[in-house]
Amino acid sequence: MIPAKKVLNTLNEHWSVLELLFKRFKMTDFSVKDVQNIIKHKNPQWTSERIFRETNRLLNQEIIIPLAKSSQLEINRAVADFASFLLQEEHLGLAQEITVLVNDLERLGNRLEQAADEGDHSELRRFSRIMDERVRKIIKLFIHNENAIFNIVEQAKSDSSAISLQKRYRAVIEAFDEYIEPMLEMVDIRGEFHACFNIIETQLSQQINNIELYGRGTQDKRMLEQLRTRILDMHLIGRESLRKSADMLMPLREELRRNSLITRQASKVLGMIRKNGVDRMLSPVQPEFVSDIQRFSLGQQRHMVAYMAGLAEFEHEEYQLPDQNDVPTYQSPHIPDYSEVKKRFSGTTKTKKALLGFLTDHYPALEADELLFLYQKLVSDDALDLQQDEQRVTVTIAEHDFSLYPFNASTKIEHANDNN
Amino acid sequence: MTTINLAHLTELQAINKKLASGYHISEQDTTLWQQLDQNIDAYQALFNALGHDLHHDARGFYYLASDESTPNMGKISRAIALTVFILIEYFANQGKDPLRAIFDETADLELMQTLVQLNKHLFDQLEIFSGSDLRKDVYLRMVRLGLARETEQGFMHLAPLYRYIDALMEVNEENFDGLEEEL
Repeated sequence: MIPAKKVLNTLNEHWSVLELLFKRFKMTDFSVKDVQNIIKHKNPQWTSERIFRETNRLLNQEIIIPLAKSSQLEINRAVADFASFLLQEEHLGLAQEITVLVNDLERLGNRLEQAADEGDHSELRRFSRIMDERVRKIIKLFIHNENAIFNIVEQAKSDSSAISLQKRYRAVIEAFDEYIEPMLEMVDIRGEFHACFNIIETQLSQQINNIELYGRGTQDKRMLEQLRTRILDMHLIGRESLRKSADMLMPLREELRRNSLITRQASKVLGMIRKNGVDRMLSPVQPEFVSDIQRFSLGQQRHMVAYMAGLAEFEHEEYQLPDQNDVPTYQSPHIPDYSEVKKRFSGTTKTKKALLGFLTDHYPALEADELLFLYQKLVSDDALDLQQDEQRVTVTIAEHDFSLYPFNASTKIEHANDNN
Repeated sequence: MTTINLAHLTELQAINKKLASGYHISEQDTTLWQQLDQNIDAYQALFNALGHDLHHDARGFYYLASDESTPNMGKISRAIALTVFILIEYFANQGKDPLRAIFDETADLELMQTLVQLNKHLFDQLEIFSGSDLRKDVYLRMVRLGLARETEQGFMHLAPLYRYIDALMEVNEENFDGLEEEL
């Protein structure tokens, strides 16, 4: 016994390999080499040792099994059934399968009634369980066959080889005659199917009534009701499924259908859509429209690409933030160049004029603070020979009055004083 | 370099408004179509400069080509595509030439109901559950995009529908498989 979880993990891991195996070989056999090739194809980076190991894993877990008396392999029937269900690659079953199940249902219905009459509740439960199982199986068959018919029709429609209509639709006509017609007959309102269900339904309803009446086996009531609902549902599903299948087959059977390139393609694409889903199948091919919203959004892909190309050439440049310490002090734009002033002042030192007087005379346009700035600059300049007065003097500079001990050039008084 | 004389492009405003909303201008819009037909070079140059791609299809319609759509427009386009493919299939099953029938026959509510009923599992995926859903979600939008026009009995399909037929012919198993690998 191989743990189910282990098998499921392997199936999950190797699903693409199994899918390809299933599609390529359908029901025929294949060799170990084929399996290894497919694994290699799906996982090109694997070493041959790993491929060998994985192949053995598939074999050990009986996902692929050796054919009797041969070195060839085949997919485990159970796995193949599961895969065909998942991929909707089902094959048409026989109408008889359903007929047998329905007949069995009738037999079981009688047994159930008998058990109820005898008051044997465990028997009653057992039969209703088996009936439930049968009904599920019938529903499964209906759906399975519907899918199978879709496949047959699709293949016939999209077959591009130039064969005669008779040949092209052989499978279709066969399907119609051997499955749809007998089934339709059965499901027909006067058919045996319907009669059988009527009987079972009345039987079940009777049981439910009895239970309600006598209050015996109330826990079985729910089960019986469920069974009754399921049977009614099955009848409906069967009718729907058959009607759909017949709709699909009818035009082909009556050779009505035109088979041009376009219709073949349309059938093929619709078949693919049916299996893969609308969005997944159509998204890559649908025509695109410009829309209003788009006009106001960032732009289409090509605009974005152009923008990104521009960004690729972008070079990052560090911006130097100024340091707090070396911010140059604010200097009024009116103040003339200091070296210029110094030169001029040096030129006038011989006249022994007061420093402030020199500034006010030469730069009458400057504001008081601007003049004082120059004054201070000249005073603290070591290159100039300046002395400070001992008397406090009040001067008017640009309409402001200042009282200070002014510096003057070349006055030989020895005094060390702090300046303003 | 084409010289663009704006004075000649009298319908520019109307044309821009229609095209930019995804509309396909075909021969039924006589004025606009003639205007485009006569000054196609100028219009093409102008729209190109605006970052659009004005396409002229030889089967008689003009539209702005785009390489992507908004998710909503994408969904609409998918619904239209599915409807067109199903119509082709339906007409073929009726023994008609699908290409002729699609442009000759009027799509009325009854036809829509039949289509939805026959392909319930496909339309379900696009949240179209009835003939009137199909009319509202697909046909009225087709009219807005210039793919169909409303008549008294129903809707007539117009030439721009060829874009979908082209798309149909583009699909084949090989390139879909390739796509699947990428996913």
